[in-house]
Amino acid sequence: MSFEMWAEKYRPKTLDDIVDQREIVDRLKSFVKSRNVPHCIFAGPPGTGKTTAALCLTRDLYGDIYREHFMELNASDERGIDVVRETVKTFARAKSIGEIPFKVMILDEADNMTSDAQQALRRTMERYTETCRFIMCANYSGKIIEPIQSRCAPFRFSYLPREEHDKYLKCMAEKEKVRLTEEGVEAIFEVCGGDLRRAINTLQASASLGKPVDAKVVYSITGRAGPADVQKMIKTAMTGDFLGARKQLRDMIQKYGVAGSDIIRQMHSEIFRAEIPESWKIKLADVVGEIDYRLVEGADEEVQLSALLARLVEAGFEMKK
Amino acid sequence: MYAAWTVKYKPKSITDIVGNRESIEKLVGWVKSWDDGAPKKRAVFLYGPPGVGKTATVEALAHDLRMEFVEKNASDYRTEEAIKRFAGLASRYGSLFGGKRLVLLDELDGLTGTSDKGGVKAITEVAKAAECPVVLIADSAYDQKFSNLRLYCLLIEFKKPLASEVMKHLNRVCSGEGIQADENALKFIAQRSEGDVRSAVNDFQALAQGKKRLTYEDVSWLGYRDRQDSIFNVLRMIIYGKTCVSAKRAVDMADVDIDMLFEWIYENVPEHFADPHDLARAMDALSIADVYRGRIRSSQDWSFTRYVIDFMTAGVAMARQNTKTSGWIPFKFPGRIQALSRSRADRAMRLSIGQKIKRRNHISAFRASKEVVPYLRIIFKNNEEMAAGIARWLDLNSEMVAYLVGSEEKAESILKQLG
Repeated sequence: MSFEMWAEKYRPKTLDDIVDQREIVDRLKSFVKSRNVPHCIFAGPPGTGKTTAALCLTRDLYGDIYREHFMELNASDERGIDVVRETVKTFARAKSIGEIPFKVMILDEADNMTSDAQQALRRTMERYTETCRFIMCANYSGKIIEPIQSRCAPFRFSYLPREEHDKYLKCMAEKEKVRLTEEGVEAIFEVCGGDLRRAINTLQASASLGKPVDAKVVYSITGRAGPADVQKMIKTAMTGDFLGARKQLRDMIQKYGVAGSDIIRQMHSEIFRAEIPESWKIKLADVVGEIDYRLVEGADEEVQLSALLARLVEAGFEMKK
Repeated sequence: MYAAWTVKYKPKSITDIVGNRESIEKLVGWVKSWDDGAPKKRAVFLYGPPGVGKTATVEALAHDLRMEFVEKNASDYRTEEAIKRFAGLASRYGSLFGGKRLVLLDELDGLTGTSDKGGVKAITEVAKAAECPVVLIADSAYDQKFSNLRLYCLLIEFKKPLASEVMKHLNRVCSGEGIQADENALKFIAQRSEGDVRSAVNDFQALAQGKKRLTYEDVSWLGYRDRQDSIFNVLRMIIYGKTCVSAKRAVDMADVDIDMLFEWIYENVPEHFADPHDLARAMDALSIADVYRGRIRSSQDWSFTRYVIDFMTAGVAMARQNTKTSGWIPFKFPGRIQALSRSRADRAMRLSIGQKIKRRNHISAFRASKEVVPYLRIIFKNNEEMAAGIARWLDLNSEMVAYLVGSEEKAESILKQLG
């Protein structure tokens, strides 16, 4: 077992190393071949290889000296307009020396930029196209303003197919000399839903226990956000104890730092499994979907999810009638 | 259902009353003087600010002297005719069963000078001719409408008790409830109450109910509040609002900002909406208010605040369709804020580890703190070797290692491996 973070250790280094997203990789390779890259948007769910693809592209483009030709900025941490005006602009307008006349700016989690910052960015993109190409990575391209979208080539990343996901994890387990059972892989997929970064982190954390990685181990380490907790919370709400359910929710979010998006994903699958009249399931799915969307938009996790809990209290009450 | 601590710990005896010793003695002397026949002034007029113990004193006194106690609220006796019925009660000293009678007419402020003029006049008649001790209570005795009545009454003023005296009463509640409270915490509540014992007890209940210990930290963040319209009144206006306009108007009276008010409402809604449909509607309204808060953040357009207010006030008030307003339910301080301030240090630590992860892992510090740190905690707790490797690779300092491991000892052993 190696003692660094596997998610980083096994990150593909070149476009050839990327196992999936065939069509995207082929197009990127053609950019490398023609030594020209347009502004791009890489959109898709987390853990599907957007940042990796962007890094591989620059490495293939510039070779060993790629570090001098690209810059990575993370919009979640530096999302304000000042960053665009200062850092981004300074980088973008400096001329590149070397064979390729432009540099590459990777803007990660770009959907978290404020709309003001995006407006400013739009001008920078236009003005310095000669010297700088932008790759914007985002979970939702819809949150990137229209004028930027129209200037970019869109790439849509999707979750790895199940076989690829499994193959990838098994291969990694083999290299790290970790025993990973079939049920273990299954459990990881269940918990991480195809997000490869999370899957790898889950595998490493499970392996750190020093036991064979089976479903039990996986669920024990992801237990805090695991189905068990969410199940319990749903049950508490359905018996009519709203305050109890809200307390459990609050603990999950505040004490254990579980992301609201994880909770809602769990709730979504639990609702279809729970003992609720079928007609209610689809009504609740509507509420879940609406709240999921609101969370994406940046609404308050506890407030939104507790509105859902109140609906469950209502469902439980109706069932008793 | 909760019992209000203001009721549960109402003084049983006048020795339990805090403050106002002289006034109480004056009152006791006057009541006792009735044993030697009716005194010159046949009524007593107690006045003073709310919550200082005027009514409590009279009740406790009747209890101590084993008198038959008749208590009426003046606002129920608004007309001359009604008062005349009341006057019958005061026409005899001895009651049917041989005991002595004490009559209390409370909240005289409730009578208006003009339309209830007949009422005040009738009360004056009662005061003149009473055959048993009659006690009148109002916040102020020097209102124009009482000018004639005052002539026939012994005036006794009740003043605000000192903070130390309020504390004495809070201490009694503490031991009754089995709560250990820091002296600082009680002092803070007592000072904040500005001598209003009732509101101090209400505040104390809201903060301490269900707790074993109350620390200064638990209360200190409250700050001082406007005594005119306490947050409790504002909440009552919103949660029990009958019309959209009245619920919305409450916002103007709150001396907390919109976000804080939101927290107050969000915390308290569940206990005040027993009907599940009402609850779902109310929580829905709050979630929509929250959506508008998000829209303000992303657009920086503060004019959307009006919609936030619509849903968090009128939206909540209109959710009440089936739940009856019954019983007394105390308002609680927003638990989320308290918990948040406690976990603030935690979050700062997670974020600084996130910064380290960001440098090596192409992920934002914010996301790393949420998505990667939980996994690191598991690894650090279970596998020292791997933990040491990762600590070196991420360049974590000893504090960060200690946070991830969760124990000083184990952290040291990991740090030793780092050399």
